[in-house]
Amino acid sequence: MSELYYESPLAGVAAPPGLAVSLREIPDRGMIDLRGFTSDRKFMAAAKEVLGIALPKEPRTSVAWGDIKVLWMSIDQWLILCPRTKAAELLASLREALTGIHSLAVDVSDMRAVIRMEGYGCAEVLMKGTSLDLQSPDYTAGTCRRMRFAEIAALLHVVEDDVFDIYVFRSYAHYVWEFLNVAAREPAKVKLFGSQDVTV
Amino acid sequence: MLIVTCPVCGAHGDETDFHAGGQAHVRRPATHDPVNVTDEDQRDYLFVRHNPKGLHFERWRCDRGCGKWFHAARDTVTMEFKAFYKITDLPPPELMAAAKGPWAEYFASRVKLESKA
Amino acid sequence: MSSKPYRLGSGGRLIDRARKIHFSFDGKPMTGFAGDTVASAVLASGQRVFGRSFKYHRPRGVIGLGSEEMNALVGIGDGARHEPNLRATQVELHDGLMAVSQNRWPSLKFDIGAINNSVSRFLPGGFYYKTFMWPVSFWKHVYEPVIRRAAGLGRAPEGRDPDAYENIHVHCDVLVIGAGVAGLAAAEAAAATGSRVIIADENPRFGGLADISGGSIDSQSQADWAAAKAASLAAADNVHVLNRTSVVGHWHHNFLMLFERVADHDPALLAAGVPRHRLWKVRAQQVILATGSIERPIAFANNDRPGVMLASAARGMVERYGVAPGSEGIVFTNNDDAYQTAMVLKTAGVSVRVVDSRSRAEGALPAKAREMGIEVDAGSVISAVHTSFGGLNITDVKVAAYRKGQGRVIKEKKVPCDFVAMSGGWNPALHLWCHNGGKIRFDDALQSFRPERHHDAIRAVGAANGTFALPEILAEAYAAGEAAAKSIRKTKSAAVAVPAAIQADQKPMEAIWFAPATGKYNEGNKHFIDYQNDVTAADLELAQREGYESVEHTKRYTTFGMATDQGKTSNLNGLGVLSEATGRTIPEIGVTTFRPPYTPFSFGSIAGPLTKNLFLPIRRTPVYQWHADRNADFEPVGQWRRAYTYPGASEDKHASITREILSVRNKVGLLDASTLGKIEIKGPDAAEFLDRMYTNMFSTLKVGKCRYGLMMNELGFLSDDGVTVRLADDHFLMHTTSGGADRIAAWLEEWLQTEWTQYKVFVTPVTEQWAQFAIAGPKARDVLEKLEPDFDISHAALPHMSFVEGKLGAYPVRLFRISFSGELSYEVATPSNLGRGLWNEIVAAGAEFGLEPYGTEALHVLRAEKGYIVVGDETDGTTTPVDVGFDGLVSKKKADFIGKRSLEQPYLKGPDRKQLVGLLTEDPNEVLPDGAYAVRQVKDKPPMETIGQVTSSYKSPTLGRSIAMALIQNGRARMGETLSFPLPGGKVVKAKITDTVFYDKEGAKLNV
Repeated sequence: MSELYYESPLAGVAAPPGLAVSLREIPDRGMIDLRGFTSDRKFMAAAKEVLGIALPKEPRTSVAWGDIKVLWMSIDQWLILCPRTKAAELLASLREALTGIHSLAVDVSDMRAVIRMEGYGCAEVLMKGTSLDLQSPDYTAGTCRRMRFAEIAALLHVVEDDVFDIYVFRSYAHYVWEFLNVAAREPAKVKLFGSQDVTV
Repeated sequence: MLIVTCPVCGAHGDETDFHAGGQAHVRRPATHDPVNVTDEDQRDYLFVRHNPKGLHFERWRCDRGCGKWFHAARDTVTMEFKAFYKITDLPPPELMAAAKGPWAEYFASRVKLESKA
Repeated sequence: MSSKPYRLGSGGRLIDRARKIHFSFDGKPMTGFAGDTVASAVLASGQRVFGRSFKYHRPRGVIGLGSEEMNALVGIGDGARHEPNLRATQVELHDGLMAVSQNRWPSLKFDIGAINNSVSRFLPGGFYYKTFMWPVSFWKHVYEPVIRRAAGLGRAPEGRDPDAYENIHVHCDVLVIGAGVAGLAAAEAAAATGSRVIIADENPRFGGLADISGGSIDSQSQADWAAAKAASLAAADNVHVLNRTSVVGHWHHNFLMLFERVADHDPALLAAGVPRHRLWKVRAQQVILATGSIERPIAFANNDRPGVMLASAARGMVERYGVAPGSEGIVFTNNDDAYQTAMVLKTAGVSVRVVDSRSRAEGALPAKAREMGIEVDAGSVISAVHTSFGGLNITDVKVAAYRKGQGRVIKEKKVPCDFVAMSGGWNPALHLWCHNGGKIRFDDALQSFRPERHHDAIRAVGAANGTFALPEILAEAYAAGEAAAKSIRKTKSAAVAVPAAIQADQKPMEAIWFAPATGKYNEGNKHFIDYQNDVTAADLELAQREGYESVEHTKRYTTFGMATDQGKTSNLNGLGVLSEATGRTIPEIGVTTFRPPYTPFSFGSIAGPLTKNLFLPIRRTPVYQWHADRNADFEPVGQWRRAYTYPGASEDKHASITREILSVRNKVGLLDASTLGKIEIKGPDAAEFLDRMYTNMFSTLKVGKCRYGLMMNELGFLSDDGVTVRLADDHFLMHTTSGGADRIAAWLEEWLQTEWTQYKVFVTPVTEQWAQFAIAGPKARDVLEKLEPDFDISHAALPHMSFVEGKLGAYPVRLFRISFSGELSYEVATPSNLGRGLWNEIVAAGAEFGLEPYGTEALHVLRAEKGYIVVGDETDGTTTPVDVGFDGLVSKKKADFIGKRSLEQPYLKGPDRKQLVGLLTEDPNEVLPDGAYAVRQVKDKPPMETIGQVTSSYKSPTLGRSIAMALIQNGRARMGETLSFPLPGGKVVKAKITDTVFYDKEGAKLNV
């Protein structure tokens, strides 16, 4: 039998011209879903041991250490990001360290599509699909939260100012991609608060 | 559009980011005594709901946030939320005092149980 | 017609006389100036008739100046871009604009429907209800089309809308609705604290009625002051200004919808791809309602003739567009404010006199008017309006002496004129206040309602609050803006100083709800209350006499206050008439409900971008493209698109389905089952938890083994099914139906979080992590062997209902030996991004064994041949496990599980329950339709007593005949009985009740 054939959810798709922000797929992110209780010291210690950094307890925050990032998903759930090539090894280490501790670590690297949005005005484009107040000071770099986007569930990660990663279940990747292609059109710019040029 | 705040993770947003789960503090009889549930107990548990004008206790889930269920107390006339509290908790004392109908009985029995414990 | 008679030689603050605009009205080329509205430009051309009325088809002209306009509704644009029912007073002129009048046939000047007017004594209030009642069979095909043609508003556009539309969600601290003086002042005060402020106004220019209200602020004209404030707000970083934006509704917790007409006014924007409309969904911490007020018409005889307009509209036409409403006019008023109209007209060179219903007109404004030489008839009303033939042009009016409360006309005189400007006072625009339950109270001085209290954080200021004096408006608005902002967060910012304002004092108005008329009451002298719905004072009185005492009933009976207008100009006048008719006060009568939207908004803006390919989220499996490349027919399964069948080049669907089924039975088939729900469940209490969730036992399942499980809801009805495998002592992988994946994951979470909170169990849905394929058929093992498994796949090592994890060649897989076809079958799962690759490998490896991909229809026939149920086909939400013959899967040992207690309720027991059985039709080629009813006794025509229905029905190529399953009352006790299924058209199909398993009853094919 031949070699592995790998195909990310948005393989072969390119952003159309005339967008106000840049859009592309991140095709090769490793992801591990980790469940456990923050009140369980052994659990928290074991996770820290493997990841090199403590799991964030503060809602909607993330932490980073080397090429690992940990996104808070719930009070007992985290999404660990790493290079795809490292995911299997990291998962094995986690499972080993968590033996006998009530927890659940699952490789979910293939479950979601990741879309990277970059450029001034990303928040405005996203606000065409989500009711979150992305202009509030709450959404500083590192913030992550689940949301309803367009008609589906998504996960938003503010990577840095004007850089956003949007995670959606892979079956919806084309739907969200096409939604963003429409919402981000240059002529559809809204220029919220302060960037207006209008005579009233 | 109701604006909801999750007492578990603090997520704050539209009701469409949450999931409304009906009347709160409904006791499931079979959990406590699977053998001696009368037909009437089961009927009341399944079908009989309180629908007051005014203070209403209800369940919500932080559907697009932390995924956790929680409780809310809401005025059905003004739609104002009076409190959000955890799924395992009882409402704040002043709301328990204002509760009517089956909730009043339920809170009284819970408070009694907990004070014994 | 030339633009001479009504375009004044100078003036018009909003128009640019240097820029001529060419447009058409009803196909007639016309010109106007940049800054004109369709209303002002058409009026300037000398034409007054804009349309025909709804019921009587009376000619109608412009009444208002802005969104209060209810008469001059026009259709704009042609073809797919046509938009009906726009208010001519709000449509901005641009080159090439095409406007058409509505509700007239064949032409505006001569309209056949106008016959309704001459027979109007036979069209009283409630006419439609009284007349078009019998026979019932006429409702749909005779009455409705006739009524719709006769009483329509505009027509719908033709073809698909070519433009883009958008939604956007925005949060702000303070939303200010209305950018008149009050709104601008409140916004300035709120913005000064650093708050995020949105200020929205339906007009292209901010300022509201500042330009026609006289007086001054900070030694500038109101208009100049407003323009300067608007400019500084637009430039502020923390303020977003929205012009051409109507706030159409206010909902709970200060959620509001704002309808922005982004590109309607400029075809160049549309051509550049700018969204035509944008719907703003705003969540505001605080709302300031500065929606101003709407002038009231007066109910006098024939007050709807073209040339009768509101006093504010008359002076607005002059001041803004340099258009005179006529050459000789009457201002008919009950207040001082309208004297400004008289003075503006006089200054513009239009001859004018004032008719004032009050016995004394002695305020500062009347005095000034007299000084200017304007004649005033105090204590007088207009008692008749005379027109040229057809009601198109006013020739004169009769002015009669009047004392308050007087019902008939005494001294009358004829006064020649060609237009009337009327003012019955001003009503605060309270619609938005009331949308979400704000309370209002009647103010005797205003003779109108004003805001009282609201449970949401909303404050009314200025005219919307019933405050009309300029200094008070400013004081109130600045205070409210600051208070609103500071209620959100405390700041130390200093309050903005309230500017000084000067405005003439006004004496009180006196309500006049009905002006007595020449002639016998209501004979040829209609007093219109609701112009848009053609409701007169007489209609309202009639409704009272006929017993419609509640104002809400009167509204529905007469249609007053309905439709696009929502009672903006009519509501209070209607209440006034009802008050006089009943002797009750207006507060006693109460008001009807104001409903969103305040003004109509487009369906396009509601849909936003969610049309065409975005109309519904479509889910693709990792192998979607392969199916598409193979010309698969897709079937929607929830939001998924699954391959239904793969027709070959010369095959129809029937042939391809048959081929696919036989391939599985005789060789081997490949199915994309990636959509199946998959949930990992782990924890020390996982097994006990599953015992609670499923009807059958899972704590006894051995590691590495699979078990089919049934789930009920608490009502005892089947809700889902699937195979669960035990990965480790404390670790399970659950499969759900494709449609149940999200629902069941949430269901498990709900019980863990809310009922059995002591359980230590984690639940993680992993549906999309895995691409999953079924390899089914006698040759399945051969195909698998070819794929180089690194584990033993012999029957002994991997029997039916077992599980193994390993590799197929390079591909990591989870392999389940389970079957939904009754054949030797494996389901193989690999991470989704490898799915396409593994699928290709299986197709290649299977070639020599005759492997063919099969779709969901073949899957369904295969399972039906084996009598396997599909939750949702064999069950309908009221079906218990016992009904479908799964008594054996309902545990007798477990004390409690979801739905158990309900199964014991008496109504779920007994012989009348419908039970699942098989059916064989007498004619083996006859395929019963899905859902066909079995009846106890066949009769000539319905009703017939039904005893059950077909749940699945197919032509089985394996058996060479039709097969079906059905839920039949007491079915299992009726084996061998023949039932009758009458079909539409009269045919009766007979079928015999059998066992549900039609193929391989012993299950021998599974264990090879």
